[in-house]
Amino acid sequence: MANTNIEGAPIRRRQDSALRVRLRRGGELLGLILSNPTTVFGLILIFGMLGMALFAPWLTQANTPDPYQMPRDWGALRMPPGTPGHPLGTTNTGGDVLYGVIWGSRTSLQLSIVVVGVTVVIGTAIGSIAGMVGGKVDEILMRIVDVFLSIPELIFALAIAAILGPSFTNIILSLCLVFWVKYARIMRAQIILVKQNDYVDAARVIGDSRLNIYFRDILPNAATPLVVQATLDMGAIVLIGATLSFIGLSESGIAEWGVLVSEGQAGIASGRWWASTFPGLMIFLWALAFNLLGDGLRDALDPRTESRR
Amino acid sequence: MQLRDYIIRRLIALPILLLGVSIIVFSLTRIAGSPVGVYLSHEMSPEEVLQIEQRYNLDKPLPVQYAYWLRGVTQGDFGWSGVASAPVAEVFPAKFAATMELSVAAAVVAVALGLWLGTYAGVRRNKMPDHITRIVAVSGASLPLFWFGIVLLIVFWANLGWFPVGRSTNDIWESIAHPTGFYTLDAILAGSWTALMDALWHLVLPSITLGFGAVAIIARMMRSSLIEELQQDYVDAARAKGLPERLVLKRHARRNALVPTVTVIGLTIAFLMQGAIAAEIIFRWPGLGRWMASAVVRGDQATIMTYVLFTSVLFLVANLVVDIIYAKLDPRVRLGD
Amino acid sequence: MSISKTDTTGAQTVAPATIASVRGLKVHFRSKAGRVHAVDGVDFDVRDGETLGLVGETGCGKSVTGRAFLRLLPVPPGILAGGSVMFRPQTSCGGCGGEGCAQCGGSGRRPTPCPTCRGQGCPDCQGTGAETLDLLKVSDKQMRGIRGDRIAMIFQDPGKALNPTLTIGEQLGEVFLQHRSVDLLEEAGIDSGESGFQAGALRRLAGQRDRRTDRMAAALWPPLRRRAQSVRQALDNRIAAALGETQIPNPRNIMRSYPHELSGGMRQRVMIAQALACDPDLIIADEPTTALDVTVQARILDLIGQLQAKRGSSVIYISHDLSVVRRICDRVAVMYAGRVVEIGETDQIFNDPRHPYTKGLLAAVPTTRTPRGKLAAIPGSVPELVDPKPSCRFADRCAQVHAACTASDPILSAVNPGHDVACFLEHPTSPKTEAAE
Repeated sequence: MANTNIEGAPIRRRQDSALRVRLRRGGELLGLILSNPTTVFGLILIFGMLGMALFAPWLTQANTPDPYQMPRDWGALRMPPGTPGHPLGTTNTGGDVLYGVIWGSRTSLQLSIVVVGVTVVIGTAIGSIAGMVGGKVDEILMRIVDVFLSIPELIFALAIAAILGPSFTNIILSLCLVFWVKYARIMRAQIILVKQNDYVDAARVIGDSRLNIYFRDILPNAATPLVVQATLDMGAIVLIGATLSFIGLSESGIAEWGVLVSEGQAGIASGRWWASTFPGLMIFLWALAFNLLGDGLRDALDPRTESRR
Repeated sequence: MQLRDYIIRRLIALPILLLGVSIIVFSLTRIAGSPVGVYLSHEMSPEEVLQIEQRYNLDKPLPVQYAYWLRGVTQGDFGWSGVASAPVAEVFPAKFAATMELSVAAAVVAVALGLWLGTYAGVRRNKMPDHITRIVAVSGASLPLFWFGIVLLIVFWANLGWFPVGRSTNDIWESIAHPTGFYTLDAILAGSWTALMDALWHLVLPSITLGFGAVAIIARMMRSSLIEELQQDYVDAARAKGLPERLVLKRHARRNALVPTVTVIGLTIAFLMQGAIAAEIIFRWPGLGRWMASAVVRGDQATIMTYVLFTSVLFLVANLVVDIIYAKLDPRVRLGD
Repeated sequence: MSISKTDTTGAQTVAPATIASVRGLKVHFRSKAGRVHAVDGVDFDVRDGETLGLVGETGCGKSVTGRAFLRLLPVPPGILAGGSVMFRPQTSCGGCGGEGCAQCGGSGRRPTPCPTCRGQGCPDCQGTGAETLDLLKVSDKQMRGIRGDRIAMIFQDPGKALNPTLTIGEQLGEVFLQHRSVDLLEEAGIDSGESGFQAGALRRLAGQRDRRTDRMAAALWPPLRRRAQSVRQALDNRIAAALGETQIPNPRNIMRSYPHELSGGMRQRVMIAQALACDPDLIIADEPTTALDVTVQARILDLIGQLQAKRGSSVIYISHDLSVVRRICDRVAVMYAGRVVEIGETDQIFNDPRHPYTKGLLAAVPTTRTPRGKLAAIPGSVPELVDPKPSCRFADRCAQVHAACTASDPILSAVNPGHDVACFLEHPTSPKTEAAE
């Protein structure tokens, strides 16, 4: 600005320093997160599995026409780990376990990103409306939320997926229908909490528009627990999705960890342990990684941890 | 608010919530298509199909159908289970007993072990036992229950042969009467040592599988709330009175740490109901979960509806009980705020 | 040779008698930045029956010093790095039975004779003939016997120091059960010579050592239940009396209520009743009025003063409120950054402060003569206490700092009888050593 007016100058400077403060805070936060070895371990696991999902076509020969279908090697049924060409062995139907493990990370990534993305957006929107508008709207929305919360998550998703018919897409859909409720509730509680802060009143006194107050003062301050919950759910959703697949709500033959565990189950009586073990281990590591990261985030973002040290 | 008033209010809200649940689930099932299929066979003519539809009121508009369904439920008619080839209400009690037996065993293990482990770790904060407990807790929450069960099966059943699958050894099961449907109770009532051992033997692996995740959840909560309590001034005040550490821990820290933990224990009821499905599939346990699993795959609507309603009732009642215990443990709690 | 008044190597000549003396007390905390020397060589005496004020800013180590008497260090582990806290427990005066006579100087108490030399004077008791315990070295069991019985503590915030899930009566009762179970049994008419399961169970119940079988027997077995109830009755009487003494109206009702049902002032009365329950020799009062309304403060202070005078107990009054300290304390020790920088009679400290920090502190208190808007403040802030170098801790903020101040530690030395200061301005030739151990 060429001719800085008297009023403009200090405001600009204030915003500058606010930005700098935010950047410094971000650096501190990152430092705090990285100072916890278990969180770092979780991050390394996550990067490992993201890398696996990203480079799947280079790590293995993609199956044609659909790479998410398990390739079948009818010449090598029920081979143990270490077989040439099948380092983790093959399933009863000649599926390469390693292929399933690698492409399963893509399936899981799709599942978790779509479900978390969709439910966070829906949940934030509904929770925000309830929290900001209040009154009758809040009352009605929360009664609906209460009804949804009366059914345990997995059982609700199971029922929906069953009614929609067995397919992986329907699993994603059913999880979306179930998981938004949690976010809506957290968001509403947070907004009501943040709304009581003096700076919100201050903004209102200045005459800011409601939408402005919401996006500038309320949402950023209310979002913290949502971020932690979303991180934890990145793991939880894969866990629940795999459970639904295991019960039999996916198409059989797709490269999905839960399906693979389920198909490998038949062989354990005859000592073929590998077909279930490796894909299951992947589910465990995936959930573990996001749980560790989520815990680390919660500790770093919780203002009380400072004093607890 | 008085505790009594609160309980009454919650008990009134309970059927309303259940009505909401049933409306959601009923609408979902009817979106997927008419349940007329379970009554049909290939030889029927279109006229016969129409007759059946009329007999079960499936030709009426959806709200009317719902009303008929609801009337049936209040009269104990939950419909026909295609999977079990019998009325739902008839199959339910035996399966319920099987699931309850498993869940109770898992819950006992989980609560006892979880509280003990959480206390043990919380008191020894940042020492070795604490770190180990934290690792157990985090992995417990990340462990896919169905996979954990399979790993246990691979080790202890397929390879070592120490534990069986299923709920009973057939001959022993048939040797005693089953008035309650709870195998362990029946064995005690029949005074049969062999049957009791058989029942317990079959319970070991599935209840460990089912309880492990809950142990993790409870231990984690107990640990963190105990650590928080141990930093309170009144714990120091108790020490300043000259109380021995044993009493400081028991009366002042542990009791108060139980307050938030009770909430989590209530939530594990849901956790156990959910986990029972996978655990029952793996261990071929003839309970509600396995029934639900086959119903889900085959689209058996009456069974799905009943199961969802049943778990909701259980879940809501468990939450109510938790709230009451909560109020009993912490006199500051004002319910209904 | 230091001429400090607080030196006790001269033994018996120390007059009036001291109930406790702190020497070179060091408490450290581990932090990420290093060892924090929260208390770094504190020396002072507490005389019989006096009220000693311990004043200073937040973080100067005054609370930690107070807690060291009970060996209650905060949870991020505090380390007792050195020094001693000598304590001489007292008993009721044999000459007058606690009424106060010439023998005990009217206080009704006298020191417990040293068990090693039976009051003759030996190295164990530093030649005083009175039982002398180093509170930092006694066994845990012995410490528990002292806590709540001989030394009691009044906490800063009664809202936090009372357990929210137990009734007032349950919490107050714990003190009696822990330290006075013999008296309770006697009051309930249970013969101390009686043996057998009933007597054993009653003794365990009254001493909070009960087993599950004892509780079951006391609940189900009528004869035992009756006798357990009479113990309960005796306990309730004691609780009610203790509450009544702190002028709590209707103690029998208050006993049954929970802390959150009482006002802040009432809660603090409960805390005081709890602290004074066993007639302790020494009371550590850690800012007991800070959390209270100003209107209640004065009444609570009066109450502590009255009850202390009645019992002849000594009080360490920890506070940052100079006006309160001036009002109620006989002597004052000023702490700064983990050290006592000045100690003396209240008059000496307030009318003739010698240490620049004390002067600054007093100047910061507004008086009627302070012009509007002209509150004095000490520039700078309390230094980091991580691995401090040998130098005067106040050197950075002191207006009169000179070369000696940054070269070594000043030690407490007398400027007037009973008035010691640790400052090179007062003692230019003061020995440049660590504070006397």
